[in-house]
Amino acid sequence: MSQAITRYHALFEAVRARRRKPEVPKGLDAIAQQAIVRVKRLKARRSWLMAQAKQVDALAGDTRQLSDAALDADLADARERFLRSRADDELVRRSLAMVREAARRETGEDAYVVQLMAALGLYHGRIVEMVTGEGKTLTGSLAAPLLAWKHRHLHVLTVNDYLAARDAESRAPIYRRCRIDVGAIQQEQDPSARAEIYAMGIVYGTPKQITADYLRDQIRLGQMTSAWTGRQRMALDASGRAAPLVPGLHAALVDEADAVLIDEGVVPLIIARSRQEEELSEVYRQATRLAERLDEGPDFTIDKLRRKAELKRRGEHRLSQMFDELHEAGADPIWRAQRRSEELVRQALVARHCYQHGQHYHVVDGQVVIVDEYTGRFLADRSWEHGLHQAVEAKEGVDVTADRETLARMSFQRFFRSYPFLCGMTGTAADATGEMEKVYGRPVVVIPTNRPMIREQGPMRVFRTQQSKWAAIVDAIDQAQRAGQPTLIGTRSIEASEFLSAKLDQRGISHTVLNALNDEEEADLIAGAGRGMSGGQVPAVTVATNMAGRGTDIVPDPEAKAAGGLRVILTEMHGAKRVDRQFIGRAGRQGDPGAAQVFVSLDDELIRNHASELASFLRRTTTGEEITRHPFARRAFELAQRRSEAFARRNREGVLRQDDWIDKYLPGG
Amino acid sequence: MSAERPTFSPFWHRVRAMRPRLRPHVQITRQFYRGRRWHVVKDPSSNQFYRLNPIAHEFVGLFDGRRTIEEIWKISLERHGDAAPTQQEAIQLISQLYNSNLLSADVAPETEQLLQRGRDRFKQKATQQAIGIMYFRIRVFNPDAYLRWIEPIFRPILNIWGFIAWAAFVIFAISQLLPEWGRLVDGAETIYADPTLWPWLVVVFIVTKAIHETGHGVICKRFGGVVPEFGFMLLVLFPAPYVDASAAWAFESKWKRIAVGAGGMIFELFVAGIAALVWLNTQDGSLINHIAYSAIFTASVSTVLFNANPLMRFDGYFILSDLLEIPNLMQRAQNLLKHIFKKYVYGVKGDEPPTHDKGELAILLLYGLGAMAYRVFLFVSITLYVMGKLFAIGLVLAVWTAGMWFILPVGKWVHWLATHPTLADFRPRAIATSLAMVFGGLALVGLIPAPDHRRADGVVESLASSGVFFETDGFVEAAHVRIGEVVAEGDPILTLTSPQLESRFARVKGRLEELRAAEQEARGSLKHAEAQIVAERISTLERQVEFLRTKRESLVVRAPHAGRIVTQDPGALVGAYAREGQGVCEVLDDTDLRVTALLDQQEAAWPEIAELDELKVEMRLLSRADEVVPAKATRLVDAGQTDLPHAALGFAGGGSIQTDAKDTSGLLASHPQFVMYLEPRPEEGDGVTWTGLPGERVKLRFTLPSKPYLVQWLDRLHKMVQGKVDV
Repeated sequence: MSQAITRYHALFEAVRARRRKPEVPKGLDAIAQQAIVRVKRLKARRSWLMAQAKQVDALAGDTRQLSDAALDADLADARERFLRSRADDELVRRSLAMVREAARRETGEDAYVVQLMAALGLYHGRIVEMVTGEGKTLTGSLAAPLLAWKHRHLHVLTVNDYLAARDAESRAPIYRRCRIDVGAIQQEQDPSARAEIYAMGIVYGTPKQITADYLRDQIRLGQMTSAWTGRQRMALDASGRAAPLVPGLHAALVDEADAVLIDEGVVPLIIARSRQEEELSEVYRQATRLAERLDEGPDFTIDKLRRKAELKRRGEHRLSQMFDELHEAGADPIWRAQRRSEELVRQALVARHCYQHGQHYHVVDGQVVIVDEYTGRFLADRSWEHGLHQAVEAKEGVDVTADRETLARMSFQRFFRSYPFLCGMTGTAADATGEMEKVYGRPVVVIPTNRPMIREQGPMRVFRTQQSKWAAIVDAIDQAQRAGQPTLIGTRSIEASEFLSAKLDQRGISHTVLNALNDEEEADLIAGAGRGMSGGQVPAVTVATNMAGRGTDIVPDPEAKAAGGLRVILTEMHGAKRVDRQFIGRAGRQGDPGAAQVFVSLDDELIRNHASELASFLRRTTTGEEITRHPFARRAFELAQRRSEAFARRNREGVLRQDDWIDKYLPGG
Repeated sequence: MSAERPTFSPFWHRVRAMRPRLRPHVQITRQFYRGRRWHVVKDPSSNQFYRLNPIAHEFVGLFDGRRTIEEIWKISLERHGDAAPTQQEAIQLISQLYNSNLLSADVAPETEQLLQRGRDRFKQKATQQAIGIMYFRIRVFNPDAYLRWIEPIFRPILNIWGFIAWAAFVIFAISQLLPEWGRLVDGAETIYADPTLWPWLVVVFIVTKAIHETGHGVICKRFGGVVPEFGFMLLVLFPAPYVDASAAWAFESKWKRIAVGAGGMIFELFVAGIAALVWLNTQDGSLINHIAYSAIFTASVSTVLFNANPLMRFDGYFILSDLLEIPNLMQRAQNLLKHIFKKYVYGVKGDEPPTHDKGELAILLLYGLGAMAYRVFLFVSITLYVMGKLFAIGLVLAVWTAGMWFILPVGKWVHWLATHPTLADFRPRAIATSLAMVFGGLALVGLIPAPDHRRADGVVESLASSGVFFETDGFVEAAHVRIGEVVAEGDPILTLTSPQLESRFARVKGRLEELRAAEQEARGSLKHAEAQIVAERISTLERQVEFLRTKRESLVVRAPHAGRIVTQDPGALVGAYAREGQGVCEVLDDTDLRVTALLDQQEAAWPEIAELDELKVEMRLLSRADEVVPAKATRLVDAGQTDLPHAALGFAGGGSIQTDAKDTSGLLASHPQFVMYLEPRPEEGDGVTWTGLPGERVKLRFTLPSKPYLVQWLDRLHKMVQGKVDV
């Protein structure tokens, strides 16, 4: 849709977007909203979508007959009608059938009925659950033209830059036929290139990039609350500094919606600048040293779950003596302020006891890099706030970076609630239905698979100790390899993946490791992960953190399929069931054979943190290393997972409330 | 351990670059509370207040429109170190001032935000009204013009001399009233029982309360406060005027604040004093006399009971709060109770009490407990009272208030238990203890049998009482006993003389002698026929003599059986001429008494469920209330009757049973009653003697088989509702 956007228009839209202050309903309002969403859901419910999709499918006979020119003319006509008026169901069906035909002619991919159904779901603002490997890319590209016609601009949010670029490129011919221009926002683009892309009809990009651009716009717009004042400023300021990059928020189609909207929903994206005036690196190092002198138990207690340290009376007393010493030794005047000093030491304690190298962060080239707990990826330019990052740096003995000062912040969930229209796709949304309804007001619809799933789900195996669990896992890998099945093993942390790798080396099982340390090779590694036994080659064994390629498929080769397909082994339960399901979903895609099994032990962090009483009960009432047969074993872990999910949900709600409160009661935006 | 106050806030960037300025019309006054300095920020245009501690005040004082918040915060940090507000606290402060419209920032106000704020405020107000339906407020007008006019009139006397004069007048009025106390108390019945006077009572109530509010307004005005609102508050559905004198909160001197709080009562008591003098000096029974009489009560009793009571949020509360120098007394007392509960029952660590001052703590605790107990008491009594009068409205009111005062807080409590983040670590224990308490409480009232007592009034009656009557005419010569004395059977009570009887007796006797002589003679002369005739006449006369002899004997009136002389004093009859059949007195056998009790039919379904034999009854005579005499129920007449067996049981006779207002005898109950007969059994008690006299009132307590409280309450409520609904 290459209509030119004037600067004023862009500004108007940007200001309009900022003035939308979505608030998460509370109390009775929340119940009411959920009820409304449920009623809405009735309209575009599954059976209705299915019926519509079948009608679209029935139109295929006609559309296939059309000449290219006729198809183009019909598409142009449909676009006109979308732009001019509200589209009725009939127009939507016909347009979708034509887009499908366009896709078939341009890319050779013909959509299944279930994909049409999912595309309709997206068009109607659903969060669509599609099993991994069911062709989300094609589905998205069927819905995108309709949405772009209807809402004028559409942002398609993908997991990473690579996928954004790849999809924008591969889908471009379809969109071109629909007379929509498309672009992908990439990390390295400069602002003028970005502005050009944002003006396009369909924009691919990662949530991080788009949110950051939007936030920078907000800073640039300053306190401006109406486009009218902005126009005056624009007239005065010829350099165009007042011109926003993102011309408003219109519609968003989010891939991996659960990860973006839920898991990362409350992670704030922060635009910050370094604080120059204060040089505190020595202070952080001193705090780390003081923290080392305190004893856990008598001096302080650690709450691992909430990542909080609490000083006891003795600790406080000892600390105040230490502060005095420091003060006498002529250290920074900050040590004179008791509360601020204690805060620093508490932070150092948290850094020391709650953040583990290899699990929560990694040191890369003398820099502390945060590891995403959900995907296991490095979060390159993120840092913890309020000195925690510095405390971790001081603990690791690397250079302490300057404390950064927040200029603007926004959480993804706030950002996405600012879109008037939102839809999404994911492999696992059903588990988050409640939150999608409550926070985003979006109903969830589960799309059936095209072909029946034949993945074989092994029973959860429960062990007493980590050692016996790892030994059993190695045995299971060995067994699968002998049987000619490729295996994919999921670990929760980089540390665990390295540990397992060492164990496999001991057993002489050749394997590849995929974690944040070598994620450049990700695509290649994932592509090879489906390799079965052929010739003299042993089947592939891939050890991966949870990241294991969202967005890319593991396709088992014919030998592997014959041997029973990909075998997925989870070495620990994740805090959220969705993440486990996502990983398990790597096996048995598109009706392929596959198997999956979960291995857990009573030493695992999940059960230790969230159901320790059940863990000790199990320990007392069982004997032997493997306790899978105990009637409560599996339930204990499921309960721990549910509790962990609830804990995370409450945390998110807390952040949400805080965000809303700030927005409501503080001036400016 | 001090609460965690993190220095930094993630939202600091939202305010750090702001250059705020206090709005120019904002007024700040200084107040001292328990030796500590506070600053009250007041917006006269909206009557909003905000209290700041000195450091926060200094922080706010730096808002000059040129410095940024970041700069101001740094200055504060340098000066006060740890005591300076943290970023979070600063944000809180700024947002509160901003939202009370006390702050202007260098940002264009957002229309959306402003409108939203207005809507929120409206919603909040509406919710408050809905919750406090017992105190529903209707705004009527702005009384400023009226007060501006009236205040100069009072100004010359609104000072310490005026107060002394007022006190002297009130004392004088009381001293005048004291000698007439009995009349004062008795008067109530005539006034409140006369429906034609009721409209006047309402007028008197509204006028005195309007004067009361004028008192607040005038004194507030006198010290420079503005009173922007006058209206009516539906206090338990009864309209009571109110004024908004919150301007007084900003007064610097606590005595001025107290004066405003007490102003209403001062004016009202003055009215009561004048009314007392009017009442004393007007003719009894005239309308003006009645009005003055009711004004005395309205303007004194209601004032002292309601307005001066610090346990409710009326004048007394604000006066007490100022006297103690503890603002927000109620809220902080509640917070303290919550804190204690959280800390000791739920084991929550790190929760801060509302104060650390020992004295303040003790006051808050005392006040909190008192107010809570009072609230329950008030709810129960108001509800029961209103239900008694206007059943349907009372029921609605009760349900509503129960909802707002009990169910809503319980709901909030449950929500808090389930979701509040401070409980995160303590939730299992908190939930367990809460459940234990709830179930424990339920078990206590719902399962464990408790003694079930019912009460009733009764009156002592004698089974054997007989009237003593004169059996012959005559002059009463002497009385042998006086009223109240005990007589044995046959003891003389009175002696009569009857000369007429005596002479007749003598005459008849003489005649008999004559005839006997004549008979003798006739027999001697063998005149048999003649003798026969005489003998017949003799026997007739002999019968006559016999009759007259008994008549003579009955000149001494004797007690028919043992007992006590009651009803009339025989001594008073001495010298009188008595005729046959005239009553002398009654002799009551007080060793053979029974008690007749009346049970209100509505409440008295219980005797049906209890066997009379098993019923344990305890009686107390009103004259000897310290002694408990056991009794046994002998019979229940369970046909409702409205006739009272004795006037002593009815309202008019000082009893507790409501009598029909139209009946003058005081013997007609307004509701049907069951009658129960009981027999005193002093021998079953330990060493008590039964001294009950016929006609004496007794209080009865019945002990039913033990039942859980819940069952008992439901039973009573059921009876109450049933009775009302049937009517």
